[in-house]
Formats: sequence, C-alpha cells, structure tokens
Amino acid sequence: MLYTIPPMGILKYVLLLFVFLSADCFARPVSYPGGYTFMFKSNSLRDTAYLHYSPTSRNAVGVEAVSDKVSNDDYVYLRYTRLLFRKNHQKSQGNLYLNTGISNDGFDNYFYGIEGDWETRRIFTGFGYKRTETDRIDIEEKYLLAGVAPYIGDYGDLHTWLMVKFKENSYAKTSSLYPVVKLFKGNTLIEFGYSDSSNWDIHLMYRF
Amino acid sequence: MKYSFLALIFIVSFNDVHVYANEDTHVHTKMSDGSSIKVDQARFITFSEGLKQSKILVVSVKGMVCDFCARGIEKTFRRDPDLLKIDVDLNFGKVLMAYKANTKIDEDSIAMKIRDNGQEVVKIDTLQ
Repeated sequence: MLYTIPPMGILKYVLLLFVFLSADCFARPVSYPGGYTFMFKSNSLRDTAYLHYSPTSRNAVGVEAVSDKVSNDDYVYLRYTRLLFRKNHQKSQGNLYLNTGISNDGFDNYFYGIEGDWETRRIFTGFGYKRTETDRIDIEEKYLLAGVAPYIGDYGDLHTWLMVKFKENSYAKTSSLYPVVKLFKGNTLIEFGYSDSSNWDIHLMYRF
Repeated sequence: MKYSFLALIFIVSFNDVHVYANEDTHVHTKMSDGSSIKVDQARFITFSEGLKQSKILVVSVKGMVCDFCARGIEKTFRRDPDLLKIDVDLNFGKVLMAYKANTKIDEDSIAMKIRDNGQEVVKIDTLQ
C-alpha cells in the first residue's frame, strides 16, 4: 500500500505555528502541572492535531482532531491520559501511560492503549500498543523504539536522539523497521522517521 | 539509507562520545550546616556570579534525566517572587536555586513541588 506525505491541510497550520513559536522538550503524553501541550502527528493511518492540559503530572485531558486516511473521515477525540507508573532513579526514569479517547462520532468509536519508556541521558527505549475501534474497522498498532543520544546536551541545548523504530499495524498488515531522528530544544520537539512500507512518520510537539 | 542509519547508531553507541560531567570538574561546596556537596564547579560559579544577599539552595533530584523533565521544575519555581535565579544541572542531578536572603525556606514545600512535577528530592542543601 502506498501512502504519501500529508501535503497541506493540518500540516500547513502546524508548520506555520512552529515557524512563529521558536522556543524550547520530550515526547511525554503528560506534562507538568498546569502545562499545555500541542502535538501534531502524521503517519500512514492518520494526521492528528492534539491539544492537552495536565492538571497534575499524572493526568492529561485534551481534544484531538483526526484526519483518518483509512476511512477518509474527519472526527474529534476527547482524550484522557494517565501516568500509571513512574520509577525515578538517579540516572534513569521509567514510565507507563494509559491512553484513551472517545470520538464525537459516538460511543462505538474510541481507542485505548498503553505506552511505556525507560531512559537515561544516553539511551532511550519505549514501546506502545493502541487499539482503535470504529463502527467500520478496528485497527491495532504496536511499536518498539530504541535509541541513543550521540552527545549529551546540557540543559537548554539542542538534544538529539538517533533511534530505530519497529512498527506494525493490523490494517496494512505490514511491519517495518526504520530510522527515526528526534530533536528537541526547550519546549519544542520534532521527530521524524521514514520507512519504505509506511512512508513518513512525523511528530511535532510544543509545550507551554 | 536505513542501513547507514543503523550503522551510525551502532558506531555512536560503541564510541561513546562522553560529554558527561567529568569528575575533575566537580567541586565540594561548603554548605551552611557544615556539610559539603558535589556540584559542577564551572556551573556553580556562573550561577552564583552577581548574587549578593541571597540564599543558594542545591537540591539533589532523582529522575531528572532529560531536559524536558526539568523544564516543569523551572517553570513551577519561577512563579515564586522570592526566587532570584534557577538553573538545572542534568549531569549531577541538581537544581540550583537562589532566593532573596530574607526568604524563609520551606524545604517540604520545595520537595512537594518537585514531587508534583514527577521527580523526587533526595536532599536539599543551603548555602548562605
């Protein structure tokens, strides 16, 4: 199955937003207490724009606009994310999150999943599972992610991660292993990966 | 392209380009209770430059492994009008804070704010 980069649409506005907001982050689904996060994601299945608010460092609620490439539908999720577990060590941290969302299309359209990560300043590993159910099709997505920081940046520096992602989804019935580069500085994060089978995987994030 | 990238990651992993704080760069700073604490020398000097009539706190924190983890700490404490300056040393897992000299330091409140942010305070040292 051949997909293309989502050309304009949501992407156009997100890129514009990033042009105007040049500030400083890590891809965590929950922010600090009182923090807002804007995320844009694009992959072979969907383009999404997601704004969430974290009342505490363990909870986030938000709204996600989805442009579904499978059903060619646009809809909105009301989302809730819960940090289920966090383990702090002097030189590492581990996290486990629960993600859920229900669509404005009705109670038959929803998703749930878990995401976990463990990282030091040098090494990052993560995994995720997501099941999306709609009245037309159900999709399961899984990924494994591992990477290294080629240099250890100081606080406020540009941080770089070179990663490898293994991903599969039940819709395309494909699995792919591909490189991912993650860059972040301050509150801004850009992550992109490319595979022959699923093309571009893009994630932009800004926290404020 | 995929294989060159994988090779690059392999090379980087095994040629560990260490920019971690070298042990030679640390200094044992004398704290107000007579104890000493290990901080990054250059960073501490830069931080304390120009600070007169202030209390400097060195907060040792667990789980502060990335820039973003620490950003919430900085944003939370910057709301405090008594705070003069804040800096984060990711290498040593320390948060450096300078308060106005007459500020009554509430260590429990500081530890709670950092816990609310998702990290854990190990120790708070004060330098007068």
